[in-house]
Amino acid sequence: MSQSAEAEPLFRKVLVANRGEIAVRVMRTLRAMNILSVAICHRVERDAVHARFADEAYEIKGETPVAAHLDADAIIAVARDCGADAIHPGYGFLSENATFARKVVAAGMTFIGPDADTIDLMGDKISARNFAAKHDVPVAPSVQAQDDMSGFVRAASEIGFPLLIKAAAGGGGKGMSVVRDASELSERARIASSEAQRYFGDGRIYAETYVDRPRHIEVQVLGDGKGGAIHLFERECSIQRRFQKIVEEAPSAPLPEATRAAICDAAVRLAAAARYKNAGTVEFILGRDGRFFFLEMNTRLQVEHPVTEMICDVDLVRAQIEIAAGGGLPLIQREVRANGHAIECRICAEDPDAGFLPATGPIRLLRAPTGEHIRFENALEQGQRVTADFDPMLAKLVVWGRDRAEATDRMVAALKQLTILGLRTNIDYLIRLLEAAAFRDGALHTGFIAEHADILAPATVDERLRDRILIAAALGQRAFREAITVVGEPHASMAGWRN
Amino acid sequence: MPLHLTLNGEKHSIEILRRKPYLVLKVDGRTHEIPDWSAESIGEMAVDGSATGIARAFVDEGGRETCFVRIDGRTHEVVLIDPREEGAGHDATRDEIHAPMPGAIVSVHKQAGEQVVRGETVITIESMKLQTALAAPRDGRLLDVLKRAGEGFDRDELLARLEPADEV
Repeated sequence: MSQSAEAEPLFRKVLVANRGEIAVRVMRTLRAMNILSVAICHRVERDAVHARFADEAYEIKGETPVAAHLDADAIIAVARDCGADAIHPGYGFLSENATFARKVVAAGMTFIGPDADTIDLMGDKISARNFAAKHDVPVAPSVQAQDDMSGFVRAASEIGFPLLIKAAAGGGGKGMSVVRDASELSERARIASSEAQRYFGDGRIYAETYVDRPRHIEVQVLGDGKGGAIHLFERECSIQRRFQKIVEEAPSAPLPEATRAAICDAAVRLAAAARYKNAGTVEFILGRDGRFFFLEMNTRLQVEHPVTEMICDVDLVRAQIEIAAGGGLPLIQREVRANGHAIECRICAEDPDAGFLPATGPIRLLRAPTGEHIRFENALEQGQRVTADFDPMLAKLVVWGRDRAEATDRMVAALKQLTILGLRTNIDYLIRLLEAAAFRDGALHTGFIAEHADILAPATVDERLRDRILIAAALGQRAFREAITVVGEPHASMAGWRN
Repeated sequence: MPLHLTLNGEKHSIEILRRKPYLVLKVDGRTHEIPDWSAESIGEMAVDGSATGIARAFVDEGGRETCFVRIDGRTHEVVLIDPREEGAGHDATRDEIHAPMPGAIVSVHKQAGEQVVRGETVITIESMKLQTALAAPRDGRLLDVLKRAGEGFDRDELLARLEPADEV
């Protein structure tokens, strides 16, 4: 990648319209590129790591912290007032909001992402599918629901069951439903449509072939906005709960070379046809029969981008900034080389043993794993409180190994080192998941977690371990310790046992 | 007076048997020798001749003190029982559905007066963009549902109650 940028920064100051680990990650690259970084924060996060990490931080107001981070006009006003010349949206929040991208440009700044029209095109699932189909990118057979429900039921039945109902404006599994026969189709379509209306303000839905136990394979692309596009290989994100990824890897678990090439080529074809600008991800589902279908395109930096960075030795945020500054693609396809294997685990505040219910609480003890080839992407600190104000993802743990087995071993070791105490997290669950034989064998599909629920449940605690746990807890308590060390009548000191 | 703790819903007790020349504890009647232990939040502890690395942290919230203990890459929650509260008796948790998280009601599936079976969804809530079904803690009849669809609530807030179970 070009190093000449350092002499004169591509931008003077960039506002990062995000928070948490991704804001810190973007700012780290900004700093390396000699660009000033600006953070925004709601008053509840004035002390947050991302706000302190930035060169400047400004408060944004909102009824809720999330509402503040979604207030496009207020954020643009902050950027303009502080003299920023570009905005990096991270992922989530306003990153795929075409109106925001347009307003940023209208305010005379650069949006570090694709053109607003491309966001519109890919943001609508129906227009995106149609565009993909037109450019020879395989899409699953589907039919869009119209006002005439009986016509929809007839057309959908012709595709064949099972069918998957999806919201046109959807994401995150909202409004999604599997329908196994014609009798339940119209009722389920009606429910999905009203759910879609409620979540996205857009009740349009469609039904497509449901692929049983598919793999989720996605391709990292970079486009120059003029029809030039390259891929940085694929990622496998088949391990999901509640329709959200929790383990991602690059390259994918074992995949026939011809399939890999076909998927990567299809992604580049789509990005080139859309004259895509900046970093993006083209998502596919891969059936057990080897057929793959376009799912959607994410027009932003992806949560799991570090696994690609680790195998390709590229800084995707730097690439985004260089492209946005008009520098074109930082490398050509021939220069993209993959080396080894990388795995990412999303560390979440949740209870995997209770349906992955989000958890809140204080982080009383935090110890990050250390060692070579480990990235702990986070904005955490001991003493902080995890609230329900934001997404339950706390951090990302990313490791690299020479091959998949080494990467898996390294991840298990790193997860065992990682200590976040004071609230429930999925760390132990992730250890069980990566240690599962089916994971090591690479027998992945999006229903993996449900299929292997029994082996992913925690092992029972035997008597020996149980006594050790109890002794450790007792010895951690000051009053109990005093009862041991204070000379004199032991029972007297036990009365005020509470810390 | 022994220290009482619960782990995975089961109650246990720890007693100091001897302090010198080394610590000896009795856990539920089993005797363990602990020649070496650390008072730090991350440290080592030797029990019956084998050393274990441990990490632990206490959280004193919602009226109870919990110790998070991490051993061998696995975290366990131990609840310390306040001797003053011990024997208070009646367990309300089986009669009530409380909010596990702050959030809002998406839909109410069962109304006051309706019969429910254990595990049946009574209310669907949304919190942090995720929907969660809250189930009846036991078979019974709903006494009341205190929130309607769209209403918000705080963590631990009472959302629904079952009629008291018949004492047989």
